[in-house]
Amino acid sequence: MIRFLKNRIQRGVNQSQSLALGTLEFELMEILWSNGASNVRDVVPKLSRPLAYTTVMTTLDRLFKKGFLDRHKSDRAFVYSSSFSRREWERRRAGSLVAGFLSGPNPSRELLLSCLLDAVGEHDATLLDELEKKIRTRRKELHRQEQP
Amino acid sequence: MILPYLVRLLCLSFASFFVLNLAAGLLVWILSKPAIRFAQTRTSSSAARLLLALRLLPLALAGLFVVGLCVPSYLWLEPAATAERVGFLCVVLGLLGAAIWFASIARTVHSILASLRHNRLCRLAGEETRIQGNSFPVVLVDDEAPLLALSGLLRPRLLISRGVLRVLSLEEFDAALRHEHAHRTSRDNAKRLLLLLAPDIFPFVRPLSMLEHSWSKFAEWAADDQAAAGDSRRALSLAAALVHVARMGAGPRLPFLSTPLLAGDRDLSARVDRLLQAAPIAPAHTSKSKHRLLNAGFLLAVCLAAVLLAPSALSSVHELLELLLH
Repeated sequence: MIRFLKNRIQRGVNQSQSLALGTLEFELMEILWSNGASNVRDVVPKLSRPLAYTTVMTTLDRLFKKGFLDRHKSDRAFVYSSSFSRREWERRRAGSLVAGFLSGPNPSRELLLSCLLDAVGEHDATLLDELEKKIRTRRKELHRQEQP
Repeated sequence: MILPYLVRLLCLSFASFFVLNLAAGLLVWILSKPAIRFAQTRTSSSAARLLLALRLLPLALAGLFVVGLCVPSYLWLEPAATAERVGFLCVVLGLLGAAIWFASIARTVHSILASLRHNRLCRLAGEETRIQGNSFPVVLVDDEAPLLALSGLLRPRLLISRGVLRVLSLEEFDAALRHEHAHRTSRDNAKRLLLLLAPDIFPFVRPLSMLEHSWSKFAEWAADDQAAAGDSRRALSLAAALVHVARMGAGPRLPFLSTPLLAGDRDLSARVDRLLQAAPIAPAHTSKSKHRLLNAGFLLAVCLAAVLLAPSALSSVHELLELLLH
């Protein structure tokens, strides 16, 4: 019971902390997304490179603790299934990236916002019109002075 | 409270720095309005120099007194073996001194980090290049935001967005570059760092910010004058560049340690009017004022050395410190 609660709490914390995946983690997730619920023995032969059973087991356990996978016991072995679809993961990942950017320091946030949004607090258009008029007048004056 | 020898020195140094900085800061605060009025009658570069010197005066005086007199007199005249009781007032003043230094160092570090982060972000979002005829590196940011600023301390880079490149004509762009180059040669970003590092006269209270704003305005005017260099055509191009960048809308907020072409719209009208006047102001020759500054610095160093070499001065300071300590 205590372990269950610890896992639940850990999952909640980790899920909010990071949605990033390592190379092997991503490959395992890809296999589970395409094949559905699988145990370690099912996953190992589907990997792109030969890896030890224990390495895969540890990585799947880490993914479970990070909140990416659910698991249940069947015949003395864990069967893992992904907690959310690939599309859902991509959506969450993009969301967390943007949220990270927005909660970051002012310059990065504003550089991003300057790309996404129309600028606010623009200069007074009337003032700018007046200044442009003055510039035009001065340009004409200079032009007249320069003519022989 | 009984404090060990070195902690007592630290406490005394902070306490005397705080008292002197407070006294000098209050004096500068009283003088700041007449000084700004006086600065308006001077050329923009000498006005900027005057206001910067006035802002840094409390730090310089208090720092010189502590480093040149307090610390030597304590080290030479205070017996190392004795354990002395330190008065409550001295401890409080020492803590206040430490607090104003902590605040200034914290904001300086924060600004340096923000500047580094911003520059890195701009380099990631753009490409580093060099413009022909210009010696300093340029980062071309792939963005439509109105960004044209000199950023960084040791190796300042010019940040330019593609939007600005698109909007400005060749003459306007040249004038804008000259403006930023003027900021670079007068090391305005380093001066900004000094302003950040100068402690407040009281923790988290900045009554001398009026001087800082005025310095910023005169530094912009000085860069305008240097960019125009008395040439009416160039002054006109710079004025047009300012208005065109302003037309692009509000730009991204830049870190304190950077000098954008257009800092805000408050001063835009005054800057354009200055640039459009019949005879644009040529930058004043700085060699005379540099000589004067060097002479003043030399005189100050001689005076300080004379005071340091006089044993009676150190013993008088030591008596004062004893008074403060108890």
